[in-house]
Amino acid sequence: MMMILTSIPPKDEFFKTIIYLLDTYGSFFIRGVLITLLLSVVGTVGGFILSLFLTIIRNQDIDYKRDSWFEIAIKKLGIGFTKVYITVFRGTPMIVQAMIFYYGIAPLRLSFWNPLVAGLVVVTLNTTAYIAEVIRSGINGIDKGQMEAARSLGFSKRQSMFKVIFPQAIKNSLPAIGNEFIVNLKDTAVLSVIGVFDLFKATQSATSSNYRPVEGFFIAAVIYLILTFITSKLVDHLEHKKVKVVNVNA
Amino acid sequence: MKRVGLVLLVLLFGVTLFACQSEDQFDLDEKTSIVVGLEAAYAPFNWATPTQNEFTVSITGQAGFYADGYDVVMAQRIADALGLNLVIKAYGWDGLIPALNAGEIDLIIAGMSPTAERALTVNFSEEYYRSEQVMVVRVDGSYADATSITDFSGAKVVAQAGTLQDDLIDQITGVIHQETLNSYSDLVNALAYGTSDAFVAELPVATSIVQTNSQFMIIQFGEGLGFEVSDEDIMVSVAMRLEDLNLLDAVNEALSGITNLERQQIMQDALLRQPQE
Repeated sequence: MMMILTSIPPKDEFFKTIIYLLDTYGSFFIRGVLITLLLSVVGTVGGFILSLFLTIIRNQDIDYKRDSWFEIAIKKLGIGFTKVYITVFRGTPMIVQAMIFYYGIAPLRLSFWNPLVAGLVVVTLNTTAYIAEVIRSGINGIDKGQMEAARSLGFSKRQSMFKVIFPQAIKNSLPAIGNEFIVNLKDTAVLSVIGVFDLFKATQSATSSNYRPVEGFFIAAVIYLILTFITSKLVDHLEHKKVKVVNVNA
Repeated sequence: MKRVGLVLLVLLFGVTLFACQSEDQFDLDEKTSIVVGLEAAYAPFNWATPTQNEFTVSITGQAGFYADGYDVVMAQRIADALGLNLVIKAYGWDGLIPALNAGEIDLIIAGMSPTAERALTVNFSEEYYRSEQVMVVRVDGSYADATSITDFSGAKVVAQAGTLQDDLIDQITGVIHQETLNSYSDLVNALAYGTSDAFVAELPVATSIVQTNSQFMIIQFGEGLGFEVSDEDIMVSVAMRLEDLNLLDAVNEALSGITNLERQQIMQDALLRQPQE
């Protein structure tokens, strides 16, 4: 029988151990990074899109004179839902949401349901709540005069919202949304609890037979830092650009 | 408002009933594969590796990740005896029993001891390995000469969360029973950096850890000097859903075909396949 005899550097050889881990488990780290990026990108982009719906629902105006009782009921229900949604998803840890979603839905035996899908759903729903709040403060930050000006130019309330207020609010919110992406890069590590093979879990696997967690997670830390550093530079760049555009418009 | 409450209640009941709907027994004739859950982080029972060999099985959903170890070899033997394809899925320790009861996996083969508490929610097979409980300490530490668990009076001792080993710590009088940690990597860290003086482990796991950490050593206890343990505590068994009684019989039959000698050999080989310092 063929024996696979591998040797790892002694415990006190920190950098040799790091090279050993990178050399032996490079494929683990690469795959972990890809999954972490996938979770963060899908979570942030999906969260952004869903949060737009939330924002639209939440900013409905109830006109007690003109709306029928049915319209009023639907609108109230919608507004109530967004409030509950945001409170629940911002008020509970993502690790708790992951446990409830993954193990709660698993007994339905859906063929597509696996840890990664559950992770993508949870990170998206979670980010939706945060970005919805970001956009809300973006809307609050728009001067009242913008709405008044739009209305005086003959825009309807809805038109003013969609054509004047939202675009500015979203543009102002972009840096904060970029920050959500950075947060997601780091916080998706908790999804390893349901078996998502992100960078954290991949690192755990890489040290599963050699018990060298410090060296392994040192590598993970450097990778996380590189990812967040690049992203924060991109966000800075975006912010800078935004200021320019506003200046031109002004 | 009352009516809304009633509707919600009915809906909740419906969902609960649906969720609790008892599945039929595992169909040995219909099924073509059996899904085994493990941590892939509990060497030498199970660990993850990027390199394939004749013992490894790929971890489902994680391309490029292979599971290896004593559990994987045993899982393969059981699957072969049942005439089923072996599928391996990896979960965190605390996720294994929920995954089993949610139907995500059919068997847990993860070095799990059949404690009475766990037996309330899952069925356990006959033992597939028998081990002894030992302490791992630093070679240069003050507990290197310990021979009895009473020598650990005043020591900071730690174990993995939710394990038998954690319960055993309380048998040491005067011990500083530390907050549990999540994995054996964490235990190794705690010991290496002096946060703890010792941790409790079963012998094969301890052997595997000492193999990769020459600064550590194992303290084995003589008759009457070690932990008081019941049979169920030193055995590891295959766990399955309570309703899968036919599977229980089949697994037990498969296990009875593997002699004690073979088991020791499989464990020995698994230890050798791990990286050595």
